[in-house]
Amino acid sequence: MVYHDLRSFLKVLEEEGQLVRIKEEVNPEPDIAAAGRAAANMKNGPAVLFEKVRGYKYPVVTNVHGSWANHALMMGMDKTASTKEQFHELNRRWDLYPVEPKVLSRSEAKCKENEITEDINLFDLLALYRINDQDGGFFLSKASVITGDPEFPDDFDKMNVGTYRIQIKDKDRVGIQALAFHDIAVQLEKAEAEGKNLPICIALGNDPITTFMASTPIAYNQSEYKFVGALNNGEPAEIVKSDLFDHLYVPAHAEVILEGEIISRLRTVEGPFGEFPGSYSGCRLQCEIQIKKITHRTNPIFENLYLGIPWTEIDYLMALNTSVPLYKTLKETMPEVQAVNAMYTHGIGVIISTRCRYGGYGKAVAFRLLSTPHGMPYSKVVIVVDEFVDPFNLEQVMWAITTRVKPSKDVAVIPNCPGMPLDPSSNPAGMHDKLIIDATTPVPPEPNPRETQLLTPPAGFEKWDEIIRGLLK
Amino acid sequence: MNCPRCDHDVIKTIAKSPVGEVWEVYCCQKCWYSWRSTETPRILAKFLLDDAKIAAMQTIPPVPPLKK
Ligand SMILES: [Zn+2]
Repeated sequence: MVYHDLRSFLKVLEEEGQLVRIKEEVNPEPDIAAAGRAAANMKNGPAVLFEKVRGYKYPVVTNVHGSWANHALMMGMDKTASTKEQFHELNRRWDLYPVEPKVLSRSEAKCKENEITEDINLFDLLALYRINDQDGGFFLSKASVITGDPEFPDDFDKMNVGTYRIQIKDKDRVGIQALAFHDIAVQLEKAEAEGKNLPICIALGNDPITTFMASTPIAYNQSEYKFVGALNNGEPAEIVKSDLFDHLYVPAHAEVILEGEIISRLRTVEGPFGEFPGSYSGCRLQCEIQIKKITHRTNPIFENLYLGIPWTEIDYLMALNTSVPLYKTLKETMPEVQAVNAMYTHGIGVIISTRCRYGGYGKAVAFRLLSTPHGMPYSKVVIVVDEFVDPFNLEQVMWAITTRVKPSKDVAVIPNCPGMPLDPSSNPAGMHDKLIIDATTPVPPEPNPRETQLLTPPAGFEKWDEIIRGLLK
Repeated sequence: MNCPRCDHDVIKTIAKSPVGEVWEVYCCQKCWYSWRSTETPRILAKFLLDDAKIAAMQTIPPVPPLKK
């Protein structure tokens, strides 16, 4: 099952019992955010669609990606697929890159059903609301932002599709956070050095894989749209040319497309905003976008997400897409590595399962992770477990830590390394210590004076797994 | 009406509810704080702003020098 728009995915979520509709009128604050928090707290929580928000015309949906069941359905898998199964399937599809996207004509693209060029008013189309109480305004927390490289406008692969927080500052003007290490900042710098505005499109309410890919860190010259096709198992992404900018392409069936420009060399107060580490990031002087045109589907659905203390919806958008690239990097030189779980706060916490080729190998795997481009600044707590431990099963990981670790030799702290500035325990911001916990079983030449015989599952347990799962359906 | 965050007195009404006359949204033209008329902003002391705080804010991303 491949989804080319948000609506077809919402339909399947509903059929699978993974979407609930709120038919009664709700208040924009605090109801929408509160429901997002509540749904995220539930195991396999559903998407929540509010049909009627007080004062607004159109519906809003939240928590669309907010559970492993929804994540599995996004991938076209059974909603009971385990996290590890989803990891390996994503890893397989990753290698299908690149899949050329299909460029549709304007008349084939549903995002062009309606257009607005005068009296632009975001509030007419989007049920905007405050997400966290101390946020400085209403934010788009789940927008896919499309920009090009001003130096190479015709280089399709350098076009960037990314998720950036966007603050509403007027009915046709918004702020955007472009951190210096983000791809969009590279493009903005080139435009601003020439004193030019940077053309930008903001796509809201996309098919679920496009949104997932927009929040996936990939190389600057890799194309998110070509990855969308790969992650959809070879089915090309459907895109269409922007109305205002010939070098930008947008998801063809998005609910709403905002087109405009980042105003050159202007910075105004932005924030605070409740961020993914579970705390507010404060006010800074950031960029502004003037919206010049909107195209949208008839009766558009506004999709947005709640972020709070993990886990909330945003954590599913930086879980397996952080884990798979790290796994691929490790696997190149250390084929013994079985799986990588880098799902904790964007890879600040990582669990790796590996076979150990010789004594000390577990620690060596951790060092390798800590020297990758993402692991170097982000990863702080690295736990290494044996190949038979599922790193996505925290009960198993805790078993490994409680029965395999001798702290005096298996726990190491490496002081004064690169750190992730948004981690509030990083001090000064950008510096941190690294913690390695080697929970693997010692192999020679390391002595293992109290060798154990592991328990094995009774014969026929796979058959029973199938029977029990079948009965639960 | 003054801004609940920086006390500035230039406040723009940026939206009125598209359906019914049930709320308006205001935005401070100095610190860009915005709120709905149905909300009662209770801004924590640490998030209140004044000129000194705004002047000391980090610029993200930095504005590059103009190429000649
Ligand atoms: Zn203000």
